[in-house]
Amino acid sequence: MDGQGYRALDTAPAPLLFDSKFLAKLEQLHILSRRAFRGANRADRPTRQIGTSLEFADYRNYAPGDDLRTIDWNVYGRLDRLFVKLFEQEQDLHVYFLLDASASMRWKPVGTSRPSKLDQMRHIAASLAYIALANLDRAKLLWFGSALGSGSPMARGKAHFHEILGFLRQPPELSGTTDLRQSMRAFTQQTKRRGLVFVLSDFFDPIGYEEPLALLQYEQCDVQVVQILDPLELNPAATGDLRLLESESDIALEVTADAGLLARYQEEMQRFTSGLSEHCRRRGMSYIHASTEVPFEDVALRVLRNGLILK
Amino acid sequence: MTFLNFWALSFAALAPVIVLLYLLKIRRKPHAVSTLMFWERVLQENRRRALFQRLRNLLSLLLHLLIFALILLALARPTFDRIIREGSSVVVILDARARMQAIEPNGESRFAAAIRAAQEYTGQAGELRQIAILTADAEPRIAVPFSGDEKLLRERLSQLRATDAGGSLEPAIALATNLLASRAGDRRIVVLTDRPQPVTPGSIIPVEHISVASPLPNVAITRFAARPMLASPETTELMLEVANFGPAPIDTEVEIALDGRRIDVRPFRLAPGQRSVQITPILPTAREAAQRGWITARLGTPDALTVDDTAYATVALPQKLSVLLISEGSWFLEKVLSSYSRVTYELLAPTAFRVELAAQFDVVIFDQFVPADWSWESMSGNALFVGKSPLTREGPPLLQPLVTASDREHAVLRNVNFDNVSIATAAPMEIPKEAPGWRFEQPLESSGAPLMITGVRAAQRVAALAFDVEQSDLPLRVAFPLLVSNTLQWLGQSPEGGDFSSVPAGALIPLAPGDTAALEPSQERLSVNPLQPLRNGFYSLRSGEKESWLPVSTFDAAESDLTTAASLSSRPVTTLPPAPWVLPVSGLPFWHYLALAALALFTWEWWLFHRRQTE
Repeated sequence: MDGQGYRALDTAPAPLLFDSKFLAKLEQLHILSRRAFRGANRADRPTRQIGTSLEFADYRNYAPGDDLRTIDWNVYGRLDRLFVKLFEQEQDLHVYFLLDASASMRWKPVGTSRPSKLDQMRHIAASLAYIALANLDRAKLLWFGSALGSGSPMARGKAHFHEILGFLRQPPELSGTTDLRQSMRAFTQQTKRRGLVFVLSDFFDPIGYEEPLALLQYEQCDVQVVQILDPLELNPAATGDLRLLESESDIALEVTADAGLLARYQEEMQRFTSGLSEHCRRRGMSYIHASTEVPFEDVALRVLRNGLILK
Repeated sequence: MTFLNFWALSFAALAPVIVLLYLLKIRRKPHAVSTLMFWERVLQENRRRALFQRLRNLLSLLLHLLIFALILLALARPTFDRIIREGSSVVVILDARARMQAIEPNGESRFAAAIRAAQEYTGQAGELRQIAILTADAEPRIAVPFSGDEKLLRERLSQLRATDAGGSLEPAIALATNLLASRAGDRRIVVLTDRPQPVTPGSIIPVEHISVASPLPNVAITRFAARPMLASPETTELMLEVANFGPAPIDTEVEIALDGRRIDVRPFRLAPGQRSVQITPILPTAREAAQRGWITARLGTPDALTVDDTAYATVALPQKLSVLLISEGSWFLEKVLSSYSRVTYELLAPTAFRVELAAQFDVVIFDQFVPADWSWESMSGNALFVGKSPLTREGPPLLQPLVTASDREHAVLRNVNFDNVSIATAAPMEIPKEAPGWRFEQPLESSGAPLMITGVRAAQRVAALAFDVEQSDLPLRVAFPLLVSNTLQWLGQSPEGGDFSSVPAGALIPLAPGDTAALEPSQERLSVNPLQPLRNGFYSLRSGEKESWLPVSTFDAAESDLTTAASLSSRPVTTLPPAPWVLPVSGLPFWHYLALAALALFTWEWWLFHRRQTE
């Protein structure tokens, strides 16, 4: 690393600041969902329910009691039979943000101006939540770590964006190692209405990420994975006789880092990230790698769009 | 194999410290990371290489122990000695004669090269290898007796200096042979010189000559002397000989200075091998009271050897003579005394004379007067008797004596012509039979009868003229002032005066008990008797209150001739000859190679460590 050390848990959260131009750009975007979910309120997002929107859905035979205004008189003229037109019901979408607040997310390398992974995650989550609110979707944010933490109230409409920011400004102190399985299980148990689920984390769970993500899919959620990493996690440069201290625990590991060891570490890290990406692709989940060295504006406006999460 | 510093092996006790240091854990640098998940996976793979890791640690430990062992061996200075039972003895003879001060073309003096060569030998000294150092100049000297202490030998070597004296190497070789005669084991004499001598056949102890010089041209002052001229004692003659020992003709000049003041410059044109002698009269005058009569000749052309470019001599500076004239009145004597610039005289009536007055003057002239209580034993000072004297015997006076014999070689009669001098009467004189310690001469006589008698006793002199000058026509002749002048100068002359030649450096000068000598201007006191001056220059000889000067110069053609140097050179000094007592490993001691091996291993270990091949 040549003088570049690491610092963990002692970084103050960066302020969540968004300028109006950036918010205006976000309002032009929509969150894509591969599936249609039943909403709670009428909104802009199509559902499989029949309703009163302008979008034509189907015909059915007239039955006594049907609204005469729905009869298609042109068809009656040609076929001499009464048919009523059915329209799609447009409802809102429930968008959930599962935010990793474990200690590993607060880790930040010393001597760099890059934000911590937690800060990067909060900015990305706030941006996505604003897009959802701007499109009359419902947004809910939940912290997780070794277990599922607190969540924000379900918000709808841009007026509630400040509530979202207020929730993001106060990440909880969650001790222990990341437990994705426990957190996802708790989420699915307490969430009745399914929807789009963003999982924002570094996915440093020793047990693995496969089962938790599969659980979300099993529970009919549309899962979007955003993995946030620091470049020095991918390519560490520290050499010599080191005593490695883990940020999530008090465990220390003594190593003598040389070029060969670092190369093997990079291979292992590469195997991990590509494994997550491949897993998401095979299971029909979106995967985005958000590096802390990329400004969150770029992540929101370019990376997420390229990853077909936004349009 | 022999370990010259066996004690160094005791440091092997420190080897467990190295092993202990290996057992201690490394102080690792703390380093925070987000997760250890991937590090653990990587290290799990590393643990599979644990055996290799242990071997890596072992290799590092073995390398360090090997480096330590090599350093210990180098400190112990092992030598492969063929003769270890009886050891060996070497006498190194350093030629310290004047020509060893010659500067070689590389800017180093021959003596410095000899010292450097000697250090090659002293570096191999040890308990079983005793080395003695001799120097050879005018005579052999033991600089260091047999010793195995390399430090002592080196210190003494660094204090040695070449002298300005000439000499021969043979006495030194003879002394070395005597020193080695009683020693067992391998014996050897190494002579470091500029002019090796042929090895004497049949010599019991091998003598090895190593040349430290190359032939060089040189110009030298080979003789320089000063003496008063016979015809004019106040004039000094300088004899100067300059020799060219180079292969090319040379034009040079010699500057002559009296008490530091240049008085003459003499040009010399010399063919190869030519010697040129020039005799120059000078008239030294005492301008200052502090002048000492130092005369220096200095060559104007710089060459390889500077010690023979300067020669030293002294001249007698004219001295004032105080004269007491005891007379009833002698017009001629008074006039002639007043005409000498160097003479101050006082006139005293015979009745006022007291014996103790004589000691206060350089010369006392008794004109027709002999003190009543005068005796040869109690006489003090120098005296000239005119007419009447203690040498006058009873008898009739000599009437109109003719000068029949005159010793013109005598100092008092130098250039004095008595031809046709008429003398009315002269007192009869004879050399006294009872005058202990006195030695008399009669340089002037008339048909066997002495007209003048001179006597010398140690530093005391006396002269007696048999006739009254007013009873002759001598005062009217040129001979009169010359006679008086010669006589006064002879009477007032110091007994040691007159020999002003320079002494060659290294000559033995006997000193009287209590006398001291010092080299000017350093005032380095030399109290050894006999005095052997080894440096050129002026030596102050002090005997009681009296001080005189001794000029010392090299004056040795053999020392100045640098052209024959190295003509018999056997080997260059940089590569030591193979000797039974030295392992000939490319000229370097074995411990050098051990130290180099330790350095190479250390470098390799450092390279491995920084590539994490070792820990």
